Amino acid sequence: MKKLSVSLLAIAVAGAAHSAEMGAVDQPIKLAINEWTGQHVTTHVAAEMLKAAGYQVEFVTAGMLNQFQALADGDIDATLEIWSSNVSDEYAKKIDEGTVVEIGDLGLDAKEGIAYPAHVADLCPGLPAWEALKDCAQVFATAETLPGGRLVDYPADWGTPGADRMTGLDLPFKAIPAGSEGALIAELRASTERKSPLLITFWQPHWAMSAYDVQFVDLPAGEEACFNDPAWGPNPNAVNDCDFAPSRIFKAGWSGMEDKWPAAYEILSNYQLAVEDQQPMMGAIDVDGGAVEEVVAAWMADNEDKWRPVVDAATQ
Amino acid sequence: MTAVADISAQQARLTAGAQAALITVIVGAVCLALEGEAPWLVKWPAAWELPATQWVGAFLDWFLNGIKPVMRVFSDLMTYPMDWANFVLGKTPWPILIGIVTALGWYLGGLPMAALGFLGLGFVLASGYWAESMNTLALVAVSVPVALIMGGAIGILANEVPRVKAFVQALLDVMQTVPTFAYLTPLLLLFGFGPVVGLIASAIYAAPPMARNVMLGLERVEPEIKEAAVMSGGTRFQQLFQVEIPAATTQIMVGVNQCLMAALSMVIIAAVIGGFNDIGWEVLLTMRKAQFGESLTAGLVIVVFAVVIDRMSGTLATERKRYDRRVVWAILGFAVLFTVAFWALLPNPSELTLLDPMTDAIDSGLTAFTQANGPWLDALKNNSLFYVLLPLRIGLDQAVLPYTWGFQWTPGMSYGLFAAGAVIALLMAWRGHLTGGLIVLILIGMLETGIANLPWPFVLTGAAALGWVAGGWRLAALSVGLLCTILVSGLWERALLSLYLSGAAVFSCAVVGGLIGLASAVWSPVWKVVRPICDMLQTIPLFVFLIPVLMVFQIGEFSAFLAICAYAVVPMIRYTRHGLVNTPDEMMEAAISSGATEWQIMRDVRAPYAAPTILLGLNQTILYAFAMLVIAALIGTTGLGQSIYLALGQADVGLGISAGAAMAILALIADRMVQGFAEERRKALGL
Repeated sequence: MKKLSVSLLAIAVAGAAHSAEMGAVDQPIKLAINEWTGQHVTTHVAAEMLKAAGYQVEFVTAGMLNQFQALADGDIDATLEIWSSNVSDEYAKKIDEGTVVEIGDLGLDAKEGIAYPAHVADLCPGLPAWEALKDCAQVFATAETLPGGRLVDYPADWGTPGADRMTGLDLPFKAIPAGSEGALIAELRASTERKSPLLITFWQPHWAMSAYDVQFVDLPAGEEACFNDPAWGPNPNAVNDCDFAPSRIFKAGWSGMEDKWPAAYEILSNYQLAVEDQQPMMGAIDVDGGAVEEVVAAWMADNEDKWRPVVDAATQ
Repeated sequence: MTAVADISAQQARLTAGAQAALITVIVGAVCLALEGEAPWLVKWPAAWELPATQWVGAFLDWFLNGIKPVMRVFSDLMTYPMDWANFVLGKTPWPILIGIVTALGWYLGGLPMAALGFLGLGFVLASGYWAESMNTLALVAVSVPVALIMGGAIGILANEVPRVKAFVQALLDVMQTVPTFAYLTPLLLLFGFGPVVGLIASAIYAAPPMARNVMLGLERVEPEIKEAAVMSGGTRFQQLFQVEIPAATTQIMVGVNQCLMAALSMVIIAAVIGGFNDIGWEVLLTMRKAQFGESLTAGLVIVVFAVVIDRMSGTLATERKRYDRRVVWAILGFAVLFTVAFWALLPNPSELTLLDPMTDAIDSGLTAFTQANGPWLDALKNNSLFYVLLPLRIGLDQAVLPYTWGFQWTPGMSYGLFAAGAVIALLMAWRGHLTGGLIVLILIGMLETGIANLPWPFVLTGAAALGWVAGGWRLAALSVGLLCTILVSGLWERALLSLYLSGAAVFSCAVVGGLIGLASAVWSPVWKVVRPICDMLQTIPLFVFLIPVLMVFQIGEFSAFLAICAYAVVPMIRYTRHGLVNTPDEMMEAAISSGATEWQIMRDVRAPYAAPTILLGLNQTILYAFAMLVIAALIGTTGLGQSIYLALGQADVGLGISAGAAMAILALIADRMVQGFAEERRKALGL
């Protein structure tokens, strides 16, 4: 079967240089659905594009961290929103094995940083400038961090970027790992509702950015030198005295996908989604309570110029 | 002077407990005295650690890849029953399923059961999670029989071959205490992606309660009954299946019930892996968005299933009267007619949103609650942390700060505290309680140092001493040996943190749960209220409660402590009540005819008879607390639970299994000691 499709591919490449062969259109392409809304939007848009090209698509729910074994075994064919800041070592192992292949950037422009809900600016005047945090650490102090302030950091398995910033900038804050994304959101929600102080490591695109009016602290721009050279930046004795290293968001697929569905592989490789497109859709789902299928369908209808060319390039 | 003379006179005939306590005190004092000169006494140096986690990882990789082909075959086989269950439950129109459950309810327990089944499934339908629920039910329908067969077989084996009993107990403890998250990565590797992994994980977790109760039930069959079976000339097989197992039904049904509950509580684990759009996945999604109302609704669907299944299976264990079968056929017939008649009009259950107002109300209620009660809840949290949890963890010498207690702890205060402890110890020794006095001294020392900062020689000596008193040299050697593996593997600090958190939780659960169990046994209206709460706490995915706890108490240890208590208190309540209520009639009659008051019966008849059952409850509470440590890591604790998440995230089989094993070791040692003391107690009471 594999041999056959390879030879088909050879004929296809020889015959038509621009468009790819469709491949096994009678078998559904299985796309991973992970745990967060942004990824659902990304995946549903891709699925609609594949359907428009004439493929069948099946969604498979999969834990973000546990999906790579499934991807390697071909139980899932592609996963479309992997954050470089939060990818397990298993991914690298599977890439080395050659069972999983990367299929390009998603083009989503992410930003991570030290953040706070807007009302906190009243409690710590001088924000968003990071220097303000030096003097109002007391405001953020809790029983477990006294005398320092409390920074709610990412869950430990995502790394400790917040703690690194506090050490790098020599700020009197103790980083408490959150344990899960739900815990981060619960902190944001409680802080907004109770008007209590909160400093948190957070990222966008995320629906909570607008729902809780989250602002980023202005940190010195992150340059390569900041992460290697202690002399660089406001603190001459430490690295990491600057903003976060920009994270990359990309797609990955099962290694057999290119042979089985050549055109679909090309569509997914060229597929891009911008923050300006994704974030409003996330808001429409998580804040306004829309269904992901309907929100995506509406966007597809309004923005045909953004996705149709990718489909056409692969199929015509 | 007299006190000293008394002690020296007593030293000649020290009890085992006093000797053990004395050695522990001496080791502790030496460690404290040498703290300055020899820091390696307090903190195990990193240079002495062995790369054990890497070794474990390398070995497991090799081993797992070896047996993978066989396991994949098993995995493929299991997908058949999964698919059938899924097909049957997913394709049957909902009115017919509701009709079947209602009819079954009527057949088993008359009108109340029928109403329970009807209303329960009605709730599921109204929640809009019907399709997801059916996926979940399919998973449970396959995993529970697997767990029951596995547990039953283990229990019977241990009963038939007494030599393997100790090994089986250890195996059951390992199954229950190595956290599921620790072996998810190896399971994924072995069985491939999909619901089968969740199915196997939940069966592994749910089998032990069944096995334990089968063992306990068979053990407790009256010797007369066994003899009668032997005399009537049956084979061993006949004796077992026709006499002993039926005689032990009540206890075994407790096991079935616990097994069902445990399997349902693991539904969420299946969801973490995914591959299966079930109700646990919905809980995870809503939980990630901190939508309490919605995650509670999704969680309640699981609870509803648990309650319906539990109550219906419960009636099987008791003598029941026959209910009219014609009603069963009438209900079924009506369901079919309803389906046929309204086929075109039946709403798609996924589009039902009848409960949305409820979820919104719950969410806004939570907001209003945290807004209104913020100050005193904060005060409660801060006081618990300042005055109880922090001193327990890092000791008075570090927890007492001007910011917290209003003054700074000084070395002078430590000396004063130790002096006061010594005086109390001497006084108690003078009154003849040498062991008690020494224990007071040890506890004061622990409070000054903090559990997380205890010197390792002290912990090892203490464990050996406790093990020796509870179960002799073998237990002492086992405890020390197992603890040493944690020490050299570099997980010691994390293990102490876990020990502190679960220890505090188990202690609180034992006190609170014991009292609630007692109240439920004495006064049945209490049990009517407590029972559904217990069912809910045990089966609702605890992730759900993390959100309100977090909203109110924020990320941190206090939230984790509450979450652990909420889960681990349940077995203590259940077993205490079960033990106290099930006193044999002839014992009760004897007590009543001898004119004992209600209180005397409770103290002298019921409580001693219930003691083994209550201790089994304590044992389960310990195991539950350790199991919950991992979930508590989701709200940011720093012990072994966090290591397990780290390992899961990095697919680090070695670290995951090592941290899981360390957790199991702590639980195992604690459990063996409790059982040792229980055994002593039983002997003392002549049971």
